[in-house]
Amino acid sequence: MKFKLLFLSAAFIFASNCLAQVPTGDVLVRGGTVLTVTNGTLENTDVLILNGIITEIGENLSAPQGVSVVDAVGMYVMPGIIDAHSHIGISNVNESSAPVTAQVSVGDVLNPYSIAIYRALAGGVTSSHVMHGSANVIGGQNETIKHRWGLLDPDELRMADAPRTIKFALGENPTRVHGQGSNKRPASRMGVEYVLRETFAKAQRYQEAWAQYEEEAKSNPRAISPAYNGQLEVMSDILTGDILIHCHSYRADEILMLLDVLGDFGVNQITFQHVNEGFKIAPELAEFGAGASIFADWWAYKFEVYYSTAYNAAILTRNGVLTSINSDSGELNRHLYHEAAKSQKYGGLSDTEALSLITINPAKQLGIADRIGSIEVGKEGDLAIFDRHPLSIYAVNQKTIVDGITYFDIERDADDMRLSVDPESPIETTVLHSHDDTHQCLHEGALDLYDFLESN
Amino acid sequence: MRVHRRIIIAVLSCAVLLGTSVRAQVNSGESIPDVTRTIVLTNARVVQAPGQIQERTNVIIRDGLITTIAPDAAIPFDAIEISADSLTVYAGFIDGLSHTGIPEPKEQPNRERPDNPAYPPDEEAGIQPQQDVRNLLDPKDKRITAMREAGFTAAHVVPRGRMLPGVGAIILLAGDDANEMVYRGETALYAQLAGARRMYPGTDMAVIAKLRQLYREAARRQKIEQLYAENPAGLERPQYDPVLYAMFPVLDGDRPIFFNTESVLDLHRVLAVQQELGFPMVLTGLTQSFDAVDKLKSANLPILLTLELPKEPENSEQEQPSDSTEAAPTDAAAELPQIAEPSYNADFRVTSLADVAAEKENLEARREMAYKAHVGNAGMLESEGLTFGFSTGSAKPGDLLGNVRKMVEEGLSEDAALAALTTTPAQILGLTSSMGTVEEGKLGNLVVTKGSIFDEKGEIRYVFVDGRKYEIEPPKKRSEKTADADVNPAGTWSITISTPGGDMGGTLTIEGSDDDWSGSLSVEIEPGALPLEYIVLDGNELTFSFDVPDMGTAESSLILDGESLNGSFEVPGLGNATVSGTRTSGPEMSTQHNY
Repeated sequence: MKFKLLFLSAAFIFASNCLAQVPTGDVLVRGGTVLTVTNGTLENTDVLILNGIITEIGENLSAPQGVSVVDAVGMYVMPGIIDAHSHIGISNVNESSAPVTAQVSVGDVLNPYSIAIYRALAGGVTSSHVMHGSANVIGGQNETIKHRWGLLDPDELRMADAPRTIKFALGENPTRVHGQGSNKRPASRMGVEYVLRETFAKAQRYQEAWAQYEEEAKSNPRAISPAYNGQLEVMSDILTGDILIHCHSYRADEILMLLDVLGDFGVNQITFQHVNEGFKIAPELAEFGAGASIFADWWAYKFEVYYSTAYNAAILTRNGVLTSINSDSGELNRHLYHEAAKSQKYGGLSDTEALSLITINPAKQLGIADRIGSIEVGKEGDLAIFDRHPLSIYAVNQKTIVDGITYFDIERDADDMRLSVDPESPIETTVLHSHDDTHQCLHEGALDLYDFLESN
Repeated sequence: MRVHRRIIIAVLSCAVLLGTSVRAQVNSGESIPDVTRTIVLTNARVVQAPGQIQERTNVIIRDGLITTIAPDAAIPFDAIEISADSLTVYAGFIDGLSHTGIPEPKEQPNRERPDNPAYPPDEEAGIQPQQDVRNLLDPKDKRITAMREAGFTAAHVVPRGRMLPGVGAIILLAGDDANEMVYRGETALYAQLAGARRMYPGTDMAVIAKLRQLYREAARRQKIEQLYAENPAGLERPQYDPVLYAMFPVLDGDRPIFFNTESVLDLHRVLAVQQELGFPMVLTGLTQSFDAVDKLKSANLPILLTLELPKEPENSEQEQPSDSTEAAPTDAAAELPQIAEPSYNADFRVTSLADVAAEKENLEARREMAYKAHVGNAGMLESEGLTFGFSTGSAKPGDLLGNVRKMVEEGLSEDAALAALTTTPAQILGLTSSMGTVEEGKLGNLVVTKGSIFDEKGEIRYVFVDGRKYEIEPPKKRSEKTADADVNPAGTWSITISTPGGDMGGTLTIEGSDDDWSGSLSVEIEPGALPLEYIVLDGNELTFSFDVPDMGTAESSLILDGESLNGSFEVPGLGNATVSGTRTSGPEMSTQHNY
């Protein structure tokens, strides 16, 4: 419990200093090989973070008084990894009751107690784009979070002022959920396009109605405003470019369809998620300026995901598409650096290109590249420190720093890092071997695999 | 108790004439009461308010009100006298929020999913802010009696439901018909983060989005209504909408939303949406609020803490000599090592995957800490300077007093506990002029105990509601668990299950011995026998669970008394069914079973 008390008291001190501001720290990371991503590799270099911001990068920096020093000699310091597609740290994923749910937001149900956040930190991931699910053509709004493990107020998980984003989804998921599940539109890919066009058209009419009302209200104090519609408010914000679209998609044809729809409605900020057939339409994506956030080599889990290749990242990158690699998983996010390295085996991307897939590129896709995604003076102090080059299969993350605060340290990684325990939860035990122990350990709920295997 | 002779005659004749009801109402058609409504408690210890105690005082209740509190108050000639020399009088407890008196809805046959789950009818989606709890009250609801036996005399009750179940009322926990119970209506709008099933809004995030939608559109509609009321000329006729219009008193600040939270995450979410929209709010539930004390402080809202507590975790026995029935008990006790409190090691790392015992011990210690934190929540809030009342939510009435005592044991002061049961809910609910303290002129709502209410041995003897006397039988003592317990549940029991939908017969079969019971339950309407799980006999209490097809796991608690049993089944979604029965065969074995 000590660690939690520490976190709590730290949080309290900062909260009382300045409300609504998250705690930041000071640290000097000394002597590491710094993989800046945007400015090459710097050997034997120090990185100084003050108040959560990188203030100096150079050799033989001195730590101001009271600033702790992390010895990174022989280690590799990279920007904190950014996962552009995740569902960790939220209590709800899909509001699957309707094909359009733009009005809901996973930002309303953040869960700072989710152990997946700590596990992500262990893999060097400092930020996640936590997304609504893909049940709906137009799903809910997403939230960009920073992994400040131990802060218990959900607001402290938010990356303040990060651009708003929303989830769209094409193909099998929305047609299965609404078409087959509820016998509603969309039941086909054509229906998906219909829902998109219909909803955008409604949003345009909503904007017009409000513009008309605002005009009339200037001269008529008794003017009556249009009915409030939370869903169309959000759709309007997409039309005006205040919300970035992140669209679950696999097939080339439906991706081109959405580009057409967006072109017709004057929307130009979109990142396609998964994009397994992106390699077929890389020039079109590049021309539109659309991003692609993909899996390294994950496919064939349903029919629309059969036509895939591990060269996707390299082909997209070489065609000038802004590309990132994401996890969409509370397990895969712990080794995104391995996923990035696969682009070197399949396609021969350079170290910097490969690292960009999990750092500066996702930052650009989320509209936060001015703040994180590379090691530069003025950026936020989010770092991962590996014992070997992070693109090596042998690399193990040692420390993860967010806003200058070390939130993961392999030396202080106790078995039980949960922030909250349900007092009514059972304690499951699984005994892997040790036949002699069975008389002590075989209590209710225990599964003795040794016995089990022997008896089978 | 000494009773004047005249009164005896009056009571007897009245009881014969009227059966159970001996009350005449001020406002009812019966102008002359048939029996005295004057009661005096003599020489009582009176806790008038938390920390404010009068010893050896007479308390006179007349016509439903406390009329006199004085040491030498003359005993009125028509009074029923209760000698209270060894008794303590408290103000009747006030339940800040619950569904007392609101029966659980009967099982709905599989309702069709609405035609368009994206836009379901409001009622099906659990959006009924226009629903008035006064229309749903059932004076025969068993929770009313159970709550009264726990010392509660008044309750703020709200409809059951989902996101916006309706408007609450203050009821007195006595009365023969619903209207008689109502003390005040239209108290508050009840809300919870509870989504609809398989329709919008299904998730918490959608409930929050829906609340924004309702609130903002209601504000617009209210403005249109005002414009139209000022001058309808040139305006399109505003159209009535029961849901949106029910939000108007909330928008005006006249009706608070009592928002229930079941976890600290709920707490954060509800506070966020309240701060965004700005409605008047009372926070209720507050489980786990020890993690959000600073936020609660800065929110500065009235709060009602639930009296529901988690079950105490059962930690595995640490290594000790195995029980031997051969050894004399005294010797065995002397040799038993002291079992240390499990201690949690935050830096713990198992050295080997096989070291399950050490890891388990650590996890159990952590769970124990979590349990203590939940029980200590009330004390922590108090030490942080937060004032709160208690709500009972869905806690079992029989657990309430025990839970208050546990909270006191974990740091809550007795005065704060009493305030949370009386004065604070009275303040939050706007009842201070009539309830919450023992004062002249207030309602005759009292709890009379032998011993302190906070003492484990304290017992409630009488509860007065609205001046009406209820004598409380002490709960059946469960026999202590002893080595030679002669309680044996084995055999076949013929049982009757009483549900709101009617009585149902069944057969309960228990086999086995000591800690190795098995059994099954068959009921009339269900083909085949349901196997029983987790059968535990503790003293004379037999508990087990069983799966009800399509409903979930039901919990059962039965008290065995020789050849008969009494207790309840708790079925998810259906609530409590009382169970009684008799043994038709068995046990085959002797009642002694030491092996």
